[in-house]
Amino acid sequence: MSYYLWGAKALPEGSDSASRQALTARDLGYKGIIICNCEPSRIFKADAARQIKGFDVEFGAEIEASNARALHSRISAWRPTYPILSVEASSDEIIHAACESPHVDALILCIDSRLSIAAARAAGESQVAIGFDLSPFFRLRASSRARWLEAFGRNLELARKFGLSMILTCMARSRLDLRGPKEILAMAEVAGFEPAEAEEAMLLPERIVQENRRHWLAPGVELL
Amino acid sequence: MRSKLPVLFPKRRYVVFRLDSEEEIGSRDLQREIHFAQASLFGDLGAARNRLKLIYHEGPFGMLRCRHDGVQQTRAALASVYAVGGVRTAIHIRGISGTIKSAREKYIPQLSRTDAEDGGRRIELEEVSGCIVHIHGRKIDLCPDDPKRSRGSDTRYLGLTSFDLSGGHDDADGTSDGL
Repeated sequence: MSYYLWGAKALPEGSDSASRQALTARDLGYKGIIICNCEPSRIFKADAARQIKGFDVEFGAEIEASNARALHSRISAWRPTYPILSVEASSDEIIHAACESPHVDALILCIDSRLSIAAARAAGESQVAIGFDLSPFFRLRASSRARWLEAFGRNLELARKFGLSMILTCMARSRLDLRGPKEILAMAEVAGFEPAEAEEAMLLPERIVQENRRHWLAPGVELL
Repeated sequence: MRSKLPVLFPKRRYVVFRLDSEEEIGSRDLQREIHFAQASLFGDLGAARNRLKLIYHEGPFGMLRCRHDGVQQTRAALASVYAVGGVRTAIHIRGISGTIKSAREKYIPQLSRTDAEDGGRRIELEEVSGCIVHIHGRKIDLCPDDPKRSRGSDTRYLGLTSFDLSGGHDDADGTSDGL
């Protein structure tokens, strides 16, 4: 199976360079990595990561915005430049705005993010994938992890009900946050995913990368 | 007289893993952390059923024994390890086998020590500067002069590769790894 790792952060937002993250991900069995920094133009030695043979490195952007207006302006500014756009679900307003925008590839749910019914319906119509961040699985312990698992299960139920596309990620800020594909599948199953669902969620990033490499002039119209 | 027929023994699996950590890890600390991670995730009952035991640990490699139907549980427990004895650590599973012999032959390299060497050399770049702490092949751990560089990721060292340091020209030895 060819898995892509979604949403790793590179220097200066993480502690490892893009090439180090990519090299570690390759050793763990991934076929590619998607690096999503909040300021992608400032990534340390981004070109060095492309020298790793037999491994695909994509640079996307993660949008952090304080309100919907800032989010929309950032989306329209970055969409032509970066092949992958993900949005960090920092507030209800941002979740709604991101779910309604067809230009967003994925909405990454944070520790305390709650998906609402309206947002889930909008995400289904706009084909926005919901990213489930598994990093609290190893960052948190005891009651705080139990609360996170509860919220995770609730978001998962909504995503299932509305048939949303799902992505599994560990939002790695360093090489020590990276987990192999089988470990991510095991964590997802413990957190409530069905095995087939988790497998599908791990395969989605590659499909998104391949779709976005094609030149779309309008919805359903491709420049060949 | 045998206390138990061989067919009644539970089937076991041997899980070989590799540690990725910032410092050397002791076996006792590692065993304690793995058991704690499993008990924290699955409770005392789940941990008791899986019969997890550390049976080998040397350098970055180790081997665990678990029940054959508890492999996924073991994977999840190992993935949930964040730090061992206060040192940031990640445990990556290399493979799973049915016997100790095949697990050793398949997944543990004969030379358990990698080509690690302590550097003591410095890197001075516009964006990053500091002392090299470890070198593993193309991977370089750097202790930054500015400790704020690794803030947020909870790590002590920055991770770079020789690709980041190569300036597009060959070194004196004909390589262009930048070292």
